[in-house]
Amino acid sequence: MRQALVLAVALAAVVAVPWIAPIYHVLLMLPFMAYGVVLLGLNLLFGYTGLVSFGHALFIGLGAYTAAFLTGLFKVRALEVILLTAAVVAAVVAMPVAAFCVRYVKIYFGMLTLAFGMVFYTFLLKFYRLTGGDEGMPVARPFLLGRDLGDMPKIEYLAGPYYYYSLVVLIVAIAVMWRIVHSPFGLCLKTIRDNPAKAETLGISVPHYRWTAFVISAVYAGVGGALLATPTGNVDPTLAYWTHSGNLVFMTLLGGFASFFGPLVGAFVFIYLQDFVMSVVPYWRLVFGAILAALVIFAPGGLLGLFPRRRVIEAA
Amino acid sequence: MGTSRRTFLRGATAASAIAGFPRVARAQAKTPVKVGVVAIRAGIAAPVGTAGLRGTEWWAERVNKAGGILGRPVQLVVEEESNPKDTVERYRKLILQEKVEVVLGGISTGVTLALAPVAEDLGTPWLSWDGTTQKGVEETMPKTKWSFRSVDNEVEAIAGGLLTAKYFKGVRTIAGINNDYSYGHDCWQSYQAVLKKLGMDVRPVVELFPKLGVTDFTSHIATIQQAKPDLLMTSFWSGDATILMKQAAGVGLFKSMKGVFTTAGGVHDSLKKEFTPEGLLLGYNTMYFDDPKGSALLKQFVREYKTKYNEYPPYECDHAYFCAESWKTAVEKAAKGGQWPGKADVVKALEGLEVESLSGKRSWREDHVMMCNFYQGITTHKNSYDFVTIDPIEVISTKQAMKPAGTKLLEWIAGWKM
Amino acid sequence: MSALVSILMGGVFHASILFLVAAGLQVVFGVQKVFNLACGSFYALGAYFGVSAVQWYVAAGGPPAFFIVPLIAAGALIGVTGVIVERGLLSFVYERDETFQLLLTFAVVLMMEDAIRLTWGTAPVSTSGLYLVYGQARLAGAAVPVYNLIVIAASLVIALGIGWLLTRTAFGRIIRATADNREMAEALGVDMRRVYAKVFTLGTALGTLGGALVIPATAAMSEMGVELIVEAFAVVVIGGLGSMRGAFVGALVVGILRAVAISVYPELEMLIIYLIVITVLVFRPRGLFGGAAA
Repeated sequence: MRQALVLAVALAAVVAVPWIAPIYHVLLMLPFMAYGVVLLGLNLLFGYTGLVSFGHALFIGLGAYTAAFLTGLFKVRALEVILLTAAVVAAVVAMPVAAFCVRYVKIYFGMLTLAFGMVFYTFLLKFYRLTGGDEGMPVARPFLLGRDLGDMPKIEYLAGPYYYYSLVVLIVAIAVMWRIVHSPFGLCLKTIRDNPAKAETLGISVPHYRWTAFVISAVYAGVGGALLATPTGNVDPTLAYWTHSGNLVFMTLLGGFASFFGPLVGAFVFIYLQDFVMSVVPYWRLVFGAILAALVIFAPGGLLGLFPRRRVIEAA
Repeated sequence: MGTSRRTFLRGATAASAIAGFPRVARAQAKTPVKVGVVAIRAGIAAPVGTAGLRGTEWWAERVNKAGGILGRPVQLVVEEESNPKDTVERYRKLILQEKVEVVLGGISTGVTLALAPVAEDLGTPWLSWDGTTQKGVEETMPKTKWSFRSVDNEVEAIAGGLLTAKYFKGVRTIAGINNDYSYGHDCWQSYQAVLKKLGMDVRPVVELFPKLGVTDFTSHIATIQQAKPDLLMTSFWSGDATILMKQAAGVGLFKSMKGVFTTAGGVHDSLKKEFTPEGLLLGYNTMYFDDPKGSALLKQFVREYKTKYNEYPPYECDHAYFCAESWKTAVEKAAKGGQWPGKADVVKALEGLEVESLSGKRSWREDHVMMCNFYQGITTHKNSYDFVTIDPIEVISTKQAMKPAGTKLLEWIAGWKM
Repeated sequence: MSALVSILMGGVFHASILFLVAAGLQVVFGVQKVFNLACGSFYALGAYFGVSAVQWYVAAGGPPAFFIVPLIAAGALIGVTGVIVERGLLSFVYERDETFQLLLTFAVVLMMEDAIRLTWGTAPVSTSGLYLVYGQARLAGAAVPVYNLIVIAASLVIALGIGWLLTRTAFGRIIRATADNREMAEALGVDMRRVYAKVFTLGTALGTLGGALVIPATAAMSEMGVELIVEAFAVVVIGGLGSMRGAFVGALVVGILRAVAISVYPELEMLIIYLIVITVLVFRPRGLFGGAAA
């Protein structure tokens, strides 16, 4: 009940932001929503399946480059088509990658995902004729619900229609993920996380479930990546670099991987904290490293873990 | 998407984002004018970003000592240039949140390609130190309203090609080692095109493109050594130029071939005499710190820079100084009756404007591209430093070595009249 | 012949540095099951500290020919940061999931990058021309800097030293016992706290030594660590996680193949390493010398 109330307030606040907040803060909400989608997926692996990927920037990159290729080379401008294609591309790439990676757990899984991420990063840099190399590729402004909003100043487009479009995508992503983790499938994942041997004896095909969770999380990252591309207007290989993957895990941990909404809180806090710290100290990495270290040592449950209440995952 | 919301948003952003209205100077006589700066602070290009920032700070101190711009002191607001996504966010912050009058800086092509459309959209002048809006050697935004861009990436390779024909006439076989990204590929391509156009009958025998950031070239050097070219060309500009030079000295590479370092002047004071031979062609980009014909301004700058940082300044300082100084001059020129001018008027005043920069006179071409001189020359040990300098000093103008507005690079080179 | 030699020597030189960093990674992983993402940062730290040490040495009037002494001393000495990181950070999370340990080393990567920038600035630093004081040697007609040979020899000596340490000393037996079965070792009265502190420091010192040794031949740049971690990572995947022999062979494979690729088909330079990594993972998922994994 209390959770529903908090959610309603949070949603109302996010809806109201474009009316009340300074324009710059409205724009900062865009990466929050895009990362929100990514992290929901990442946490299906991290929080629910117990697998930590250090290579999910690969799928963000795939989604973002899909947006660039579609709007540029193929002149496809409908955001619905872009998001759908990003999801499909991410899934297609994730299937074989997941098949390799889920053979391992823990550190081995993390390293393998990192390796695949770096292969993609190198590919983006190396095949510059196709991908633009380090210069990346521009992303033209997508049409929303079939409407070409090219006449609007971009800031208005981003802070208005695109903002609400992203919000709807995020809400849909939340709803779908909520259904997934509360389905028998989600329950099986949790069993696998807590006790793979027991899951196996219960007749759950552990690799198959892990594989499916991986592919779903990749689809989320692909969609989030496509959403992330438009506000920047350009995509580049750093999106796929391993430190970007590290930041994703950082965000998840910051909010709390043990809770359904933890990653969203993490993305929000990370983005605003980075915005603040970067402007105040040139050595913001030092600050962020220290924060991460403190989190890992003192508050592994993340920000939401600090509140002494029922953990959502266990309650679910 | 209701119209009412859009109208509302337009109202909210108009003051900051769409246009700068002329303001009454008297009311703001003492209010500092905010100047935004984006500078790289981490990674391979950090020294370049640092140099640009130092040049800008030096400029700001000077301006403030002399009473500011139209009586307003300058206040720098510095943000970090990192990857394109984050930099676009920082850039928007400078304009929307900090409400700066102008943004200076921008080095990496990947970032400036992303920044230019944003700058156009936000309607605040942006003067890029070292970034272009070129994809490869093609201009992607030929007509910008608010963005002012640096010289084309490949100019120093073209200048290097012109001087190769002058100094290393007999060369038949060449090797190239350039970083595996657009700048490296563009430089190698342009350099060869120039040699060919100048009638040099050269053949590339090996071309290597190590990843940016590699710190071990022993295997590359072994490969070059085996190919036995008459000349090695490189556009390395960061610490890798120093490393290449040192590891080449380890096997005596330049005893058997000529060397062309088109851009290594960016790290010139790390090219110690112990491992940097005489007789190489070395490019300093757009400012040569030890120019005997240099202005009093240059000499003062070099002296103060050395005192403060114990280093000798590289070219990026001058890019940065020029951007800041030309903007100041444009503001003063556009001001009518002491009133602070609108941003659009400043942009108009910038077009075609020529000002005195550290390296001498520099200007903005009508299509918002930087015009200046490039300094290259033959390395010498005859100086009082522990690193090499150049003698003779060759000065090549962008009028000669940069493609004119609206032309394609290779067609333009092919069309040179010999 | 001289072509082959100079290309091979280039590869072996690169391999010997890679080996040191990868060995640091392996010893820590083997015993503590911590995959240390910060091994590259320690490498960078060793490089910067080595430059400073040599600069002090030269400024104090030390004979240039012996600069290698302060260099190696500095590389080994700065390895003590390992104790700080282990006691100050890692020791708190041994009971937790390995992921938290990995994340903690990621935090060290972030902090170290800025700490280096704060201390040494952004410009590349180097030991100027000292690299050349030992001159060149001729091997089958190919010119090879003597310093490169010293690094290769040093790396070999260290490899043998580790081999001796692991197989012939009491400490080595404890390390191997812990790596095989931690509970058993603990039950037999091994003080885990001390073993972990020592092992992590050893791993760190290998990385910092690698950085210090390479620096005369190159220049220190703040991102050198982040760049190297990917290669070191390839080495341990190829060789097998936790195996010293794996680190040795993996480093040779990566170093030499890279050198050959550069001279034969330069386009493949980095890609070839990834291709090998993936091939190894497909056919021998535990690497060439990997033991029980997963």
